[in-house]
Amino acid sequence: MSKKSEIKAKKISKKALEKQKNILEMLKSHGAKIYEDLDNGQFPKFSIPSRSVSNIVYDKKLRQYILGNSSAIRSSKNTSQLRSFTQLMWLAFFANRLTNEKKSSTLRDIYYSSQAFEIDFEDQSESDNIIVDLEAVTSRPREDFHIFPEERSSIFGDLTIEYTIPGYEGKSMNLSNHPDGYAIGPSLTTCELVDTSAEIVIAIEKGGLFTRFVEEQVDKKFKSIIINTGGQAPRSTRTLLKRLHDEMNLPVIILTDGDVYGEHIAMVIKSGSANAAHLRELTVPDAKWVGVWATDIEKYKLPTIPMTESDIKRCYDLQKDPRYIDGIWKKELEVFLRLKRKAELEAFSKYGLTNITDKYLPQKLELAKSL
Amino acid sequence: MSLIKEKFNQISPSEFFYRNRDLAGFSNPSRSLYTAVREFVENGLDACDSKGILPDIHLTIKAVDQEKPDPKPYILTVKDNGPGIETKHVPLAFGTVLYGSKFGLKQARGMFGLGATMAILYGQITTNKPVTVKSSTDGKTMEIFELLLDIQKNKPVILKHTTKDVSKKGLSVSICLEGDYSKAGSKIRDYVYQTSLITPYASITFDDPKGEKYSYPRMINTMPKPPTIIRPHPYGTDVETIRRMIVDSQFEIPTIDDIMIEKVRKDLGLSKKNLSFTAIMEKAKKKWKTLSRQVRVVIALMSFLKMDFEKLSKIRIEDLDVPNKKLFYWDFGDSTSKSVEMDPESQYYKQLTNTTQGETLTAFLTKKFQRVGPSTAIKFAEFAGFKPEKRIGTMTNQELAHLSDSLQKFDDFMGPDSSCLAPLGEAPLEKGMTKFFKPDFLTVLQRSASAYSGFPFIVEMGIAYGGEISTRGIKVYRYANRIPLLYDEGSDVVMKVVNEIDWSRYKAKGDPPLVIVSHICSTRIPYKTAGKENVADRPEIERELKLAIQFMARKLSVFMNKRGQAEAAKKRANLYAKYVPLIAQFCTELAGKKKEPNFQKILHDETPIENEEKAIENE
Repeated sequence: MSKKSEIKAKKISKKALEKQKNILEMLKSHGAKIYEDLDNGQFPKFSIPSRSVSNIVYDKKLRQYILGNSSAIRSSKNTSQLRSFTQLMWLAFFANRLTNEKKSSTLRDIYYSSQAFEIDFEDQSESDNIIVDLEAVTSRPREDFHIFPEERSSIFGDLTIEYTIPGYEGKSMNLSNHPDGYAIGPSLTTCELVDTSAEIVIAIEKGGLFTRFVEEQVDKKFKSIIINTGGQAPRSTRTLLKRLHDEMNLPVIILTDGDVYGEHIAMVIKSGSANAAHLRELTVPDAKWVGVWATDIEKYKLPTIPMTESDIKRCYDLQKDPRYIDGIWKKELEVFLRLKRKAELEAFSKYGLTNITDKYLPQKLELAKSL
Repeated sequence: MSLIKEKFNQISPSEFFYRNRDLAGFSNPSRSLYTAVREFVENGLDACDSKGILPDIHLTIKAVDQEKPDPKPYILTVKDNGPGIETKHVPLAFGTVLYGSKFGLKQARGMFGLGATMAILYGQITTNKPVTVKSSTDGKTMEIFELLLDIQKNKPVILKHTTKDVSKKGLSVSICLEGDYSKAGSKIRDYVYQTSLITPYASITFDDPKGEKYSYPRMINTMPKPPTIIRPHPYGTDVETIRRMIVDSQFEIPTIDDIMIEKVRKDLGLSKKNLSFTAIMEKAKKKWKTLSRQVRVVIALMSFLKMDFEKLSKIRIEDLDVPNKKLFYWDFGDSTSKSVEMDPESQYYKQLTNTTQGETLTAFLTKKFQRVGPSTAIKFAEFAGFKPEKRIGTMTNQELAHLSDSLQKFDDFMGPDSSCLAPLGEAPLEKGMTKFFKPDFLTVLQRSASAYSGFPFIVEMGIAYGGEISTRGIKVYRYANRIPLLYDEGSDVVMKVVNEIDWSRYKAKGDPPLVIVSHICSTRIPYKTAGKENVADRPEIERELKLAIQFMARKLSVFMNKRGQAEAAKKRANLYAKYVPLIAQFCTELAGKKKEPNFQKILHDETPIENEEKAIENE
């Protein structure tokens, strides 16, 4: 490791500590306010941004969905809110412990942990909802509170990181050492990004293609970091993508199946989802979707399968989304609707297993420069 | 009564009912057993009611052969502590159809006492066994009859008649009939149960064929005021009724034969004497006030004929031509028809016209109807376009129809007299319902009397909620003239009104444990069908029911509100007690404090606040 990067790492580590301190302080101030209310003989309450559909708006400047200005009071005096109020208080309390102790937990863990404190969530979806509430109140993603989803996606390529999780602090690792790739879990989400020789990040929708790319040494041939999103990219993966783009100055391109769902996977990485409108750290507005486009189906004469009713309905739904009103997003939707057929990434195997890495990828990388 | 008899005189009434027993509820063994129970129990209750005796009714049904499958013969016995029936009436009362004492316009459970005889007839047809009647009117001697009915002749056949010393008054009737208790049982038990609810002053026991004993002891010791018999109201009459009333008030010119002449002589005190015509007239004038109507008519005729008794016995009156003021007669001596002029100024002329043409319209109305006084009668005559002194005997069919029509249309008659009705009363109903349902909430209401088509009626109702009521959803007990109505619930006017009420408005949501008792009393319940199980939706009755239910439902709503508030406050307190300490615990650690905040204050003096959730705009 060069001296320069060492200094950089220290700087970053300091930044991470500061972030943690900020979060703990914020939680403490929330707690103090509630404490004060109770001590003064008042029912505590707080304001929470409304997540109802009418309050989700598209921000053209940020190029993502955000919450509008309306908010609601959640009061412990209102018996219909008392339970969720208490649940949220517990979650803040629990998140505080997790953050303090630098322990991570999953959404499912949260659901079970609650039972030790007489906070009974009816099911996991109820506890998941409260987690979103906490995100909305604090405007922080759950990962900041050490709460991670179950889904795992993976990463491979020349990227040196330094762990910040307990027991591994300061330990560094290069992510090209293991050919199956590295699962993007809590440790990679919170690690420091130290160094890379890569010049681009390739996000790919499918695990099978990810393995092919590693085998074909796409990382070396194209100086890239390869990320398997495993379908719709989990938020930890989107956070990592954003950091690679922002902190390491790497462009991000996205390869998906040639269908309307693939197109939207790319869009969510680029500009987020309505579900996470309360958060602003999850998007890579400069990310580029390079394929498989509807027009590629014709251009490369790919084997296709017919679109289903729900595929077609999805096309019409997306046409109403403000992000799809221009550019390739609009054009490709129209072509999908015209063809009424779709093609998977694996369709290139028709021309040989390595056709996609040998022929298609280089063309698309070239094209990306001009997008 | 005479008219009814005339209608059936082609065949005997027994024969008629035998052929049409389905109409009276004796269509099959299950229905017949149920109907027979009702008829005897209701007769027993009516008998006690009529004499102001607190009823003790014992109902027993026993299978003749326990082992046989249904349908099979049962012995049905109903015993009451009523006045009993006089010995001479027993055979006729139980051995003929259409013999009864319940004629007249007042509220009673049964109408003419037909049902009991029908039950006896049915029993005799299906088992060929006699009816046993035990009656004691004096509480000392009991007359025991075994009777069969001669269906063709409509006459009782006494098989056995004995007497026995007893210590109690009352009547016991026992018949053997084909029945199906396995099917009819639940209905009969319901009937006994519901009857005891609407008759809280009666004690009713029921020993069923399976050895079960159902006992409903007396709940109150006061009896409702007995109903009185009244004249009909003008609104409640039709042409046929009026025609019948006119016939009753009209008299024929008596046949003047030797017997009649003998009677006139005797009444004038002239049995032995032969007086001249003028002397007879003198004598009659003196004795006028003591003379009967018939005799007066004969004297009046003599005054125009100017004959003594001797001459009178030799003629026959042929016709009385009132409009032409002529009297025609046949002279046996000359064998010719002769006539005399009648002086309309004579008082005797009036006597004759009164007799043949009936009373004046106003007299007829005031005498024969309720709620019609002399001045109302005159006003009515004017309204209808009749002369007040118009003789009702002279009315043509068209005029009668017009009279009947006008009676319905005239607005100034006072509402019908409700003294002929016997509602149970609010206090007894309340007591009965309290003991039956042991509810958390109970209210009863008796509406004041109202009328439909001239028939007075009274609606009384009760609503009970919660407590030991275990049924979910609204349960309605319907009664008409103290008889429970068990069948055809769906099409009943009470059900219609209950179902039209939006109960959630009165805080009775979901399937509330709610019981409604509805009792309609009337001299004529407008049943929808011959089965007499559902009341038709007359607007007047519907309106009274609706007002009664709404009034009571408002009271229910007040109760529910109070209870709801108390429950909600308790629920809220529980929720606070559960969650607030947890909030305190979490925020203490979150705020980095050692000691928990003092949250006891809010647990003690919380006030209920509804719906604090409101979105606020933060511009």
